[in-house]
Amino acid sequence: MSNYCLETTNLSHQWNARTPVLNAINLRVPTGSIYGFLGPNGAGKTTTLRLILGLLKKQQGEIKIFSWQWETHRIAILRRIGSLIESPSIYSQLTARENLRVLQRVYRCPQTRIEEVIHLTRLTDTGRKRTGKFSLGMKQRLAIAIALLNDPALLILDEPTNGLDPEGIIEMRELFRQLNRRGVTILLSSHLLGEMEKLITHTGIIHKGQLLFQGTLDQLRNEHGASDLETIFITLTKSNHE
Amino acid sequence: MNECLCSFGSEWLKKKRTASSFLIIAGSLLIPLIIIIARTDSAAGLGAANLQPHIWENLYNRNWQIMGTLLLPMGIVLATSLVTQLEYRNNTWKQLFTTPQSLTTIFVAKLSVILVMLVEFFLLFNVGIWLTGVIPGLLIGVPYPPETFPWKAFWNSNTKFFLDSLPILALQYGISLRIRNFLVPLGVGLGLYVASMIAVHWKYGYVIPYTYCDYEFMGVTAGKVHTHSWAAGYAVLFIGLAYLFYITRKDKA
Repeated sequence: MSNYCLETTNLSHQWNARTPVLNAINLRVPTGSIYGFLGPNGAGKTTTLRLILGLLKKQQGEIKIFSWQWETHRIAILRRIGSLIESPSIYSQLTARENLRVLQRVYRCPQTRIEEVIHLTRLTDTGRKRTGKFSLGMKQRLAIAIALLNDPALLILDEPTNGLDPEGIIEMRELFRQLNRRGVTILLSSHLLGEMEKLITHTGIIHKGQLLFQGTLDQLRNEHGASDLETIFITLTKSNHE
Repeated sequence: MNECLCSFGSEWLKKKRTASSFLIIAGSLLIPLIIIIARTDSAAGLGAANLQPHIWENLYNRNWQIMGTLLLPMGIVLATSLVTQLEYRNNTWKQLFTTPQSLTTIFVAKLSVILVMLVEFFLLFNVGIWLTGVIPGLLIGVPYPPETFPWKAFWNSNTKFFLDSLPILALQYGISLRIRNFLVPLGVGLGLYVASMIAVHWKYGYVIPYTYCDYEFMGVTAGKVHTHSWAAGYAVLFIGLAYLFYITRKDKA
């Protein structure tokens, strides 16, 4: 049994022959970690996450989650994953609880789980309000509630704090820590380096489709002789430009 | 099996408060409502009309006149497109494809919802036809039509209309699953509908998959061609192609 919850081996992708997006990415997300997947816009973060979740057809490389090959265990893997990719996926004509009910049927988890995640994401007062009328922050909370609905072992979240106010960001940080303490592995992608630094245990830095660094935050600091993530990130991506 | 039922239940919930569910109710009851108003308005002749020997057949034909040739095909085009566009509009394909169900289950569940909606439409419309015979009489105080309600004839005719509308449903489903822009399935549907209206009297009109409802209502024959078999064949072909295009999509969301 591997110590990694998620592993990719030589994962490569290109839109066409002239535009490679990912170049032999070997992601290693340790079980029980909070892994920050960092990179500037267009670095290949979302493409990697979409490949991991099967939203894009894999061209080259290998993906293993919970030590299972993606191709042969797709449904078993997805049963244990919660995800939020880019903008929230919500049916705007339904209420928050109705949205969760739609997915509860598919996941076949207990109905009580709906109230649990509503409570966890502080959406208890939304009542009969349709989600189309929600603020961006509320939509984001609901999207996180959806990702938590099946009590996942691995959470994959792309920019989960988008649209949240400072108080909401702090609450989410606490929620992620709490989930992690309960054994949930979290893979986060974000631009908010300061925020990520407060939360993550491990990081992978991607730039122009190449993984420039992967390891613990301490390893990153030791290797690059700086204490804050922002400085190291800029140094790394600049040197890759050159 | 259980997975399919859960998936169907989930898909059925999604259509709550959508335009497609409104369209099914409004579209199926619109013509009966107009005929009820028209019959109530012509109160003088209503008693005699209700005593006619083929009153139910007459009411059936009056209702189907517009429904079979215009509202049914257009309603299917719209409702089918709206059901699949729900995922595009809300940006929810990515959420759906990361749920633990096979891609085939998702395809079948969505198609089943549309088929059940079509059955719901037919049921409501037939209740509407029955009400066109009952309500005006109740409002004015004219006796209920003495002729026995022709259940069997209604069933047979409805089954044929249902079968004839399946190629429209299948093609629209395939296009709207594949194409994000709502105008494309709508445009194709409208274009083929107009083509079918023009082609229905042409000797090879039966090759256009949207003509079969017209053939059924107008009683036009296409030579020795069995149009219902053509409709079934087209439906199977379009569903097969829709599945093929859907399953081989490289970018799922």
